[in-house]
Amino acid sequence: MKKFLEYLKPYTKESILGPIGKLCEATLELIVPLVIASIIDNGISKGDTTHTVSMVALLILLGVLGLGFSVLAQYFSAKAAVGFVTSARHSLYSHIQTLSYSDLDRLGTSNMIALMTNDTSRVQSGINLALRLLLRSPFVVFGSMIMAFTIDAEAGGVFAITIPLLAIVIFGIMFITTPMHKRVQSGVDKILKRTRANLSGVRVIRAFGNEERELEFFTKENSVLTSEQKRTGRVSSLLNPLTYVIINLGVILLIYVGAIKVDTGTLTQGEVVALYNYTAQILVELIKLANMIISISKALASWSRIASVFEIKSSQVFGERVIGEGGECAIEFRGVSLKYAQSSDNSLENLNFKVLRGQTVGIIGGTGSGKTSLANLIPRFYDATEGEIVLDGIPVSNYSKEALAIKIGVVPQKATLISGTVRENLLFGSETTDDELWHALAIAQADGFIAEKGGLDIKVEAGGENFSGGQRQRLTIARALVRNPEILILDDCASALDFATDAALRSALKSASENTTTLIISQRAASVMNADNILVLDDGKIANTGTHDELLQSSVIYREIYESQFKGGSV
Amino acid sequence: MKKGNKKSTVSRVLGYIGKHKYLLPVSFFLAFIYTFVSLAIPYFIGEAIDCIVGVGSVDFEKISGILLLCILLTALAAISSFFVSVINNRIAYSVTRDMRAEAFKKIQKLPLAYIDTTSHGDTVNRIINDTDRFSEGLLLGFTQVFTGILTIFGTLLFMFMLSWQIAIVVVVLTPLSIFIAKFIGSKTYSMFIKRSEDEAEAAAFISEMVENQKLIRAFNKEESSKERFFGIGKRLEKSTLNAIFLSSLTNPTTRFVNSIVYAAVVLVGAILIISGDPMGAVLTIGEFSILLSYTNQYTKPFNEISGIIAEFQGALASAARVFDLIEQENESEDGTIVIQNADGEVLLKDVSFSYSDDKPLIDALNLSVSRGERIAIVGPTGCGKTTLINLLMRFYDAKSGQISLDGHELRSLTRHSLRSCYGMVLQDTWLTAGSVKDNIAFGKPDATDEEIVNAAKSAHAHSFIKRLEHGYDTILGEGGDGLSAGQKQLICIARIMLTSPNMLILDEATSSIDTRTEMKIQSVFAQIMTGRTSFIVAHRLSTVREADLILVMRDGKIIETGKHEQLLSRGGFYSQLYNSQFAH
Repeated sequence: MKKFLEYLKPYTKESILGPIGKLCEATLELIVPLVIASIIDNGISKGDTTHTVSMVALLILLGVLGLGFSVLAQYFSAKAAVGFVTSARHSLYSHIQTLSYSDLDRLGTSNMIALMTNDTSRVQSGINLALRLLLRSPFVVFGSMIMAFTIDAEAGGVFAITIPLLAIVIFGIMFITTPMHKRVQSGVDKILKRTRANLSGVRVIRAFGNEERELEFFTKENSVLTSEQKRTGRVSSLLNPLTYVIINLGVILLIYVGAIKVDTGTLTQGEVVALYNYTAQILVELIKLANMIISISKALASWSRIASVFEIKSSQVFGERVIGEGGECAIEFRGVSLKYAQSSDNSLENLNFKVLRGQTVGIIGGTGSGKTSLANLIPRFYDATEGEIVLDGIPVSNYSKEALAIKIGVVPQKATLISGTVRENLLFGSETTDDELWHALAIAQADGFIAEKGGLDIKVEAGGENFSGGQRQRLTIARALVRNPEILILDDCASALDFATDAALRSALKSASENTTTLIISQRAASVMNADNILVLDDGKIANTGTHDELLQSSVIYREIYESQFKGGSV
Repeated sequence: MKKGNKKSTVSRVLGYIGKHKYLLPVSFFLAFIYTFVSLAIPYFIGEAIDCIVGVGSVDFEKISGILLLCILLTALAAISSFFVSVINNRIAYSVTRDMRAEAFKKIQKLPLAYIDTTSHGDTVNRIINDTDRFSEGLLLGFTQVFTGILTIFGTLLFMFMLSWQIAIVVVVLTPLSIFIAKFIGSKTYSMFIKRSEDEAEAAAFISEMVENQKLIRAFNKEESSKERFFGIGKRLEKSTLNAIFLSSLTNPTTRFVNSIVYAAVVLVGAILIISGDPMGAVLTIGEFSILLSYTNQYTKPFNEISGIIAEFQGALASAARVFDLIEQENESEDGTIVIQNADGEVLLKDVSFSYSDDKPLIDALNLSVSRGERIAIVGPTGCGKTTLINLLMRFYDAKSGQISLDGHELRSLTRHSLRSCYGMVLQDTWLTAGSVKDNIAFGKPDATDEEIVNAAKSAHAHSFIKRLEHGYDTILGEGGDGLSAGQKQLICIARIMLTSPNMLILDEATSSIDTRTEMKIQSVFAQIMTGRTSFIVAHRLSTVREADLILVMRDGKIIETGKHEQLLSRGGFYSQLYNSQFAH
């Protein structure tokens, strides 16, 4: 809530003037029945045409003023709502930029996108509505009642009974139907899932001849949904008739009370008409209020989702160190374990190893053996839960974020490009000459197809859809090389390359960057077999280390992997 | 939508409502009662007000009578309006249910060609959302239009009865407010276009950047990403403010026009009462006040109707989309012969097939497979290896030529019995939402627990299932969330082990499974293939070598057939493929 007020603060003027404009408009509306009463009692009854005409002129003036106030109110409310949401969205975006990988994992991509688009727009319409109506509707309702009391206490009493009754019915029905609507929605979700599964699994369903059974399931779920909808509909159907009865009985009571009062001379006919006119406004405004409460509660729910993201403070604090101490050891893992927030077991357990400067080290293992987890610890995408990672003699946590980004080039497993040009993708915010870019492309074996397609300025579509998987992988490798990193991590990023290209890539990397420390992560024995050292990972632990020839002798797992690929195995 | 289509859509819609044809007139009748009674009540209230003239001159007897009548009328109106709404809900929801059911039934009958080539999201949308939009827009909208028009005519009638002069003032002036609403609508249209463009740009940017948030983080590019976003955000702010503010002008301005109409009615009414009607009719104060309340509500249905008409068209378009699905052609006709325990002799004679006429795929393919033989299909990714599987399972029909199983032409067999002869394991594993047990028993829902466990054991899935939190009762999410790719594959194998078919169709594991896991699955495959006629989309050297026949596919065509050694010595595409893919 504090955050909420903070974002509204720049729009204090608008957030106050908006509701005030609406209140002025409502006040004018409340005056109208009084003017009509005066026309009836003073103009018509006494045959006074000039009074009538001047009162009609007053009605028009009220209309013009009402228009003016309401236009101002709409403008201020819209400005405050849109401004609020824009700054909230911007700081949400900025906040997400500060989050660590594990924070991002916890939030989830689709959730973050929904927060930035759907939730913010729901908050926007909620604020807009609240500024315009939250004060206006109760004001009109209670204003009508107060006006009625000023005309006659007993007539006001009729209002004092009618209004709570109406409120009970409207909010009561809303209260009962809200959970019912949720049940309907979950019913819809169920048949939606079934339909989607029946399309994606059509071959399996037909292969097993299960069409009839699926249809039975669907029919059952569909009928449950329908009866749920009908039940909800029946309750909602009570709203109109019940409020109608209450308001009409109120009117009838009012006319009866009015008749007695006029007969004894405490009320005039015009005042009875005025009282009658007030009843009409109550119902409309109460229903508006009920609808508004629904959208405002949705907006509040959206806001609390947004606010909960703001509460996540990045789980990482970076140091200030820009360069390391040097020495011959580029990377060292000291008793490192990693446990992801969502999982119960360690993903990596007690890793100890050293990588010397300029070495090429291969990391091999099956899916889920922890290869990528290991790689992610080096640039501090995740923090080790135990132990320490040391780069150039300095623990990673002492480096600044910029220093790590410059020092380490990562080619992630998933080759993603961003829409724009090839140049933009390669530079990705940094600056360098075209020659350097072509040099990087050449090492990554990507210069050929880029030149063929038309050079550095050709377009990259969202996700790099206009390149093949192998081409995308080579571009992401080039992107990492452009920055000339001291440490290069290739995370299974050559899986879509054919054997020859993969080999050419590895030899180009080796000759181009003598001083670069390279980590090659792969499932292919062929990709790591020429490395200076190979770590064999199994279930989060280092099973064996050694060169290819050593491991063939010493490691059962390595031998199995090798044989599965080279002797009767596939790629 | 084409014009001719629209008419037939309407008549098809009426077909669905037809089941409720007794309810529909009842609903209309009740709506009619509700509208007129609710308009009559103010009329009587006006009369009552006329009885309240001044001190000592109130006609209590008449007032009591009128008010009693009003109570009865209120009850009548309330009851009718409740039942109108209940009946309409009933019709709308039943029609939606029926349409959905029919559309879903259609999925089970559609040719695979339709399902493979249309987006699943689109079909789901038709079955779930379009049916909803249709029932809400068309049926509920229809009754709203009906009562709206009734209200307009009823109000006019009562107004003319009370004072024709005032009625004319209202009739002439109210179109102004409708005109203004339209005018603002058309002026703000371009603002809304601009805003949705900006919104789309922001949404695209957000989703691309958030999806790549880790990349941005890895390259330390947070600041430049923020800058770009703020630029888009500022533009969106401006266009949103324009659109929201300008469109929100509709209400105040129409309210203003209505207050002008109101003032005009007051003026004319007051003058009529004061000066007396030249035509002789007398307007009373009660009637005057009722005319004012009629004036207030007269314009409401106009604004509502114009909104409803837009929804109406949307609903018709939705209905047309649903009907378009329902009226797709079904799969070709089913055969009649039921085949059981097939020996597994498959014969293809001059079989030709293509997905589209301009791209022939399989041309005059001849193939003879004896019982227990192993057929491997190899070729580069995307060469159409699954086409043959599609033909064997009769997911697609061959364009020409004959395919037979145990001497029966496939078309003469029932699809159900043909398909039950095969056990199929595809590379993208499909699991249904439910327990592990449900998934294994997918092809044999009445299987005993013992049978299920045995099937899992023979698929080598038992040991990992046992270790799951709830064992065989562990609930798997949609798509088998929570299991590794290899485990899912093993469950799919257990699924076919339970039905124990005589023939197998296997699509070997993909790169998503690491080679060691794949080897384990492979050994399970090898075990279950013994004695069964098997068609394997092969990725592995061992399968290819040991196959009785290899079909080499390229660009959708079978270009070479033969045994491993024959093909290798031929030095054609297979030997190229073999050398690049399998040999290092």
